[in-house]
Amino acid sequence: MRLPRFFAKKRGDRRTGAEVWGSIGDALFHSILLAAGLVFAAMLLTGSAVPEWRINHHFLEARATVVGKGLARRAVSGSTESTWQPCIRLQYPTTTGPEEAWAVRGDPAANRSAAAKPLAAISLGSELVCWYDPQAPGVVVLERGYNWWMWALTLLLPGALIAFGGSGVARAFAAWGKSEERQAALGNRPLPTGRKPGLEDCPGVPSCEDLVNSPGTILAFRLPIESGESWTLLGFGLFALLWNAVLVVLAVNAGFDLLGGRIDWLLLAILVPFLAVGVAGIVVFIRALILATAVGTTQVEISDHPLLPGGRYEVLLGQGGAGVFTSLEMAVELEEQATFRQGTDTRTERVVVWRTSLNSWQDVQLAPGTRFEGRGEFQVPATAMHSFNSEHNSLTWRVVIRGRPAHWPTFIRSFPVLIYPAAPRLGPSDQEATP
Amino acid sequence: MTAGEPSRGLPVVTVFFCKADRIYETLEPIDIRYQISLPPGSSLRAIERSVLWYTEGKGEEDLEIHFFERLTDRAAVSGAAPEGRFAVGLPRSPLSYEGLIVKIRWCVRIRLFFASGRDFVSEHVFDLGRIPAAISGKVS
Repeated sequence: MRLPRFFAKKRGDRRTGAEVWGSIGDALFHSILLAAGLVFAAMLLTGSAVPEWRINHHFLEARATVVGKGLARRAVSGSTESTWQPCIRLQYPTTTGPEEAWAVRGDPAANRSAAAKPLAAISLGSELVCWYDPQAPGVVVLERGYNWWMWALTLLLPGALIAFGGSGVARAFAAWGKSEERQAALGNRPLPTGRKPGLEDCPGVPSCEDLVNSPGTILAFRLPIESGESWTLLGFGLFALLWNAVLVVLAVNAGFDLLGGRIDWLLLAILVPFLAVGVAGIVVFIRALILATAVGTTQVEISDHPLLPGGRYEVLLGQGGAGVFTSLEMAVELEEQATFRQGTDTRTERVVVWRTSLNSWQDVQLAPGTRFEGRGEFQVPATAMHSFNSEHNSLTWRVVIRGRPAHWPTFIRSFPVLIYPAAPRLGPSDQEATP
Repeated sequence: MTAGEPSRGLPVVTVFFCKADRIYETLEPIDIRYQISLPPGSSLRAIERSVLWYTEGKGEEDLEIHFFERLTDRAAVSGAAPEGRFAVGLPRSPLSYEGLIVKIRWCVRIRLFFASGRDFVSEHVFDLGRIPAAISGKVS
C-alpha cells in the first residue's frame, strides 16, 4: 500500500500539497465544524427548546390551590454568594389523581427580600392556573410561552455551523477522486464572455456593454471613470467619522471625571494621540474632498469601442475646473492585477507593464464655466494583449489622465477601455502544417 | 513532440502536435496524437484528455477547460491507449500571455488512472496567438 505524498511538485518551482491530503484535510475541517454544529444544536434542543416546546404543547391545564410559599436558595458556582428563587407549593388535580409539587414563580433575585416580594401578593388557599406534565404529574409550571432569544440562538449559531460545515463536506466529497480538469469541466463557473457585434464570443474578455451605453458629445462614446477616487474619499470620511466618534466617547468620560474632581491620567494619556489621529483624519478627508471638487470633472471620449489590435482611435479629454494646470497628460496603460492569499489575508498586486503617452499640455488656463478640450490618437499595437478577467487575475487597459493643478497635488483619473483579440489569421499554409 | 518522465516505474506519454512550433492561431483546429508507454504489469482503468488554459504568476491559479473527455469503459480505454488521437477547434481567447505577474498558458493534458488507484498526468504546453512577452514598465 502506498501512502499519499505530502507534497507533489507542480509547475516550475511551485510546490503544493498533495491532492489526497488536501481533500482529507478539507473534509476533516468541515466535518469538525458540522459535528460541532450538530452537538451544539442537540444540546440546545434537548436542554431548552424541547422542554419549552413540551410545556407549550403537551402540558395539561389545571386549577391549583396554593398550599405553601418559599424561597429556593441556589449557590452561584465559583462564588460564595447565592441567588433566591421564589417558589409556590401547589395542590392540583391530575388524570392520575391529586398531586402536590413546587413550582417556580418569577425570576431569581440576588437578595432574599427582593425575591420574597412577588410572593407577598399570593395568599395561601388562593387558586392559580397551572400546567402539569401528563407523563410526570409532579412537574408543574405557572407560566408558558417562548424565549425567543433562546430559539434564535438555537437556529442561528448551530445553523451557521451546520450550513458551513455541511456544504464544505458535500463539496469535499463531490471533488473526491476527481482530477482538477474534471472538476473544472463539471463546475459551472462561467467566465465573462465579451462579444462585439459581428465577432465570435471571446471567453475571458470582459463584456463591453457598460462601456458603450453612454454616447459622447463629440466622439462616439464617453468612457466611465473608475471610481477609485470616490471610494478613497468615502474611506477617509468613514475613518474620520468612526475615529472621532470613539474620541468623543473617551473625551466625555474624561470630562465627567474632571467635573467630579478626579483625574484619570491613563485616560488623558490615551486621549492625546487619539486626538492627534482624529484631527489628522479630518484634515486628510477635507483635503481629499476639496481636491475632488476643486479640480473639476474629467471626461474622456473615444471614437470607437471596444478596441481591436492594429486599430487607430481618437481620444478626447475634457477637463473642467478653474485656475491653472501646470501640466495635463493623457496616456494609455496596460495593468496586470493578481489576487492571492497570504496567510489569512487576501492581497492584490498591480503592475503597469505597458504605457504610451497620447498627448500632454503645459500651463493650461481654465476659466469657470468652460472646459479644456484636448485630443490624442491611440494606435493599438498589432500584437497587443487583449483585456482579460478571471477570478483572481486580470489584464486591464485604461486611459489615464494625470494633472498637476497649481497649488494642488497631482491627481490621476482612470477610464477603462476594452481591447478585444484580433480577428483570426487562418490561411491555407497553416492548414498544411499537419504532419 | 514532447515526452513524459523517464521510467522508474512511471509511464511515458509522448504527445505530437500538428504544428511543429506549437503556436496556433485563434479558431484554428488543433490535432493531437499521443503515445503511452506503461510500466510493466500496470493497467489503466480510465484516461482523461483535456485542452485547457490556466494562469500562473503571483495570483491564485485560475483554470478553465476548453475540451474534456474521460474514457472509462474497457473498450474506450483500450481504444485510446497505447495510442490515441483527438482534435478540437481552439477559441478566440484568452491568448497565451507571458506577463510579469500574470501569465496565461494553454496546454494539453493526458491523465492516466491506474487500476491500482494511482494517477499520472502529463502536460504539454502550446501557444494560442503570438503575443510578445511583457517587459517591466515598457513605455512607447
